[in-house]
Amino acid sequence: MKVVTGVVGNDIHVVANRLIELSLQARGFEVFNLGVNTYLEEFVDAVVETNADILLISSLNGEAEGWCREVKILKAKYGNLLDNVVFMIGGNLVVGTGDASDIIPRFKNYGFDLVFHQIDLNTGLDELEKFMKERN
Amino acid sequence: MSLLQEERNIILNNEHVDNFDFAEVEDFVKNASKDLFISYNFKTKNKMLVQPRGGFPTYDKMFALYDFFDKADVDVLPCTIDSNTRLNDYATAKKMLRLSEENEVDMLNGYPLVTHGYRTSRKMMTHFNKPISLRHGTPDARLLIETAIASGIFEIEGGPITYLLPYSKNFPLDKAFLYWKYVERVCAEYSKLNEPINRESFGPLTATLVPPCITIVIQLLEMLLSLEEGVKSFSVSFSQTGSMNQDIVMGAVIRKLARHYSEEIGVTDADIHLVYHQWMGAFPMDQNYASQLINMSTVIASMVGANKIITKTKQEASGIPTKEANAETVANTQYLLRILNGLPKLKDEQEEEILTAEVMAIMEAVFNDPADTLWRKVFNSIKNGTIDVPFSPHIINNNEMITVRDRNKNIRIIKRGKVPIPHRCFEYEKNQCDLNKDTTSIVNDIIHDIGIMQ
Repeated sequence: MKVVTGVVGNDIHVVANRLIELSLQARGFEVFNLGVNTYLEEFVDAVVETNADILLISSLNGEAEGWCREVKILKAKYGNLLDNVVFMIGGNLVVGTGDASDIIPRFKNYGFDLVFHQIDLNTGLDELEKFMKERN
Repeated sequence: MSLLQEERNIILNNEHVDNFDFAEVEDFVKNASKDLFISYNFKTKNKMLVQPRGGFPTYDKMFALYDFFDKADVDVLPCTIDSNTRLNDYATAKKMLRLSEENEVDMLNGYPLVTHGYRTSRKMMTHFNKPISLRHGTPDARLLIETAIASGIFEIEGGPITYLLPYSKNFPLDKAFLYWKYVERVCAEYSKLNEPINRESFGPLTATLVPPCITIVIQLLEMLLSLEEGVKSFSVSFSQTGSMNQDIVMGAVIRKLARHYSEEIGVTDADIHLVYHQWMGAFPMDQNYASQLINMSTVIASMVGANKIITKTKQEASGIPTKEANAETVANTQYLLRILNGLPKLKDEQEEEILTAEVMAIMEAVFNDPADTLWRKVFNSIKNGTIDVPFSPHIINNNEMITVRDRNKNIRIIKRGKVPIPHRCFEYEKNQCDLNKDTTSIVNDIIHDIGIMQ
């Protein structure tokens, strides 16, 4: 199974990005890591180009909302090319202390299938694997 | 007119520079107080120099910071540049400075030196008659260091590798080498007028499980790139690793090899110094614990025999420190250095031998690259993975090396990628670690190892 991953926007938190890459590889995923400072259109282009199953976006500086609210627009634009792609976002999604029960529905409304705010890395990946198992 | 002077004319004929007067600046440097030169301080002050970090946007706040540091008996004053200037975005820096001045709210995370200009800044930089160290993080520092030296800042931190691989995703590395070559030559030119301008390489890099051999190789190469342009005072540096023994070993090896490789290129008249950065990783939230971590760093720096220590504050985990917290660390560090006497000289022959062999093997591979100049050899060695910095965001970095901590918290290489350390050294590194576990557990170990001080 293929995953495109990276850190969105003007975010240079490289440690989490690298650890996610290593963890995904350890779980048997084929990983295409776009690294830090990546923009939403770049992510979607890479998903199409690699025929990936999953897009896993990280955001750790609290600016995710500004960079990711156009997911639905891009899904509409790319049409059936993205039909089977799982959109996942995780990290520190808002500045300061945000409530996950507010944040998760908001990001799901932007078009993400899986949303994690301030969650342990392996917990997030466990949830992803569970989601993929149930879906297939 | 030399090519360098032509290039300098181009750089300084800039809309953000108010008429750079070459002759006046030269005269200023020639007659500047020797106390402003850290290279002179290294020679004459018989103690470890203490340098904090810090930078505020406005002249008044910066001056107040320096005044606080001066009263705390600081040795070296810091000048941390804002992030817009780091990206060479002087227009935004100018706008943000105006907003900072009008609203009394800091809109920049450092001092916008180019915007303030050298005439204004010089009044402050020379007022306390202490050396000032420039810290900025930019791959293209040409205009910045011209302004810095004209302002009376005679120590320039950074380099083409150490200010690029940890900070940027796609700034072209070859351009960084050429831009820094300019910086080296300008520093070398001014060094003929008075005491030498000191150049300092930024050893922490990503400050995340960087193995000692990678740190030292990059320090040595930036030193050589600087010395070959005529720089006469250079500081190699590294940050606290998390193991006192590993730091002591690193200090011994880097000092020895710095002397070895500078003599290899025929430079015998340059002064080489060692700088130690207090813990550059994540700090504990508890300010008491943070203070203990800082004190421990000072003890280790003394054991290492560093010539300068760059300090942190107890507020590190919660954002930009106040000038009070910053000055407190300076005063505490000076006190601790004064009462730390009779330190033992520790030596670990085996670790030193392993580390020396690793560094020399990588250096040999760099020198064996077929390119015709040192900077091109280094460029190729980074691109092909001979030099690989863990957790670098830059796309040119191979990112194949994996490191963990052993039971004594030394950083060990468990996957070397294309870094040509000798097989026996690689086996030694791996044998220090428990590798009979799956990658998921190793990733958990890495997460814990990164946050070791929290």
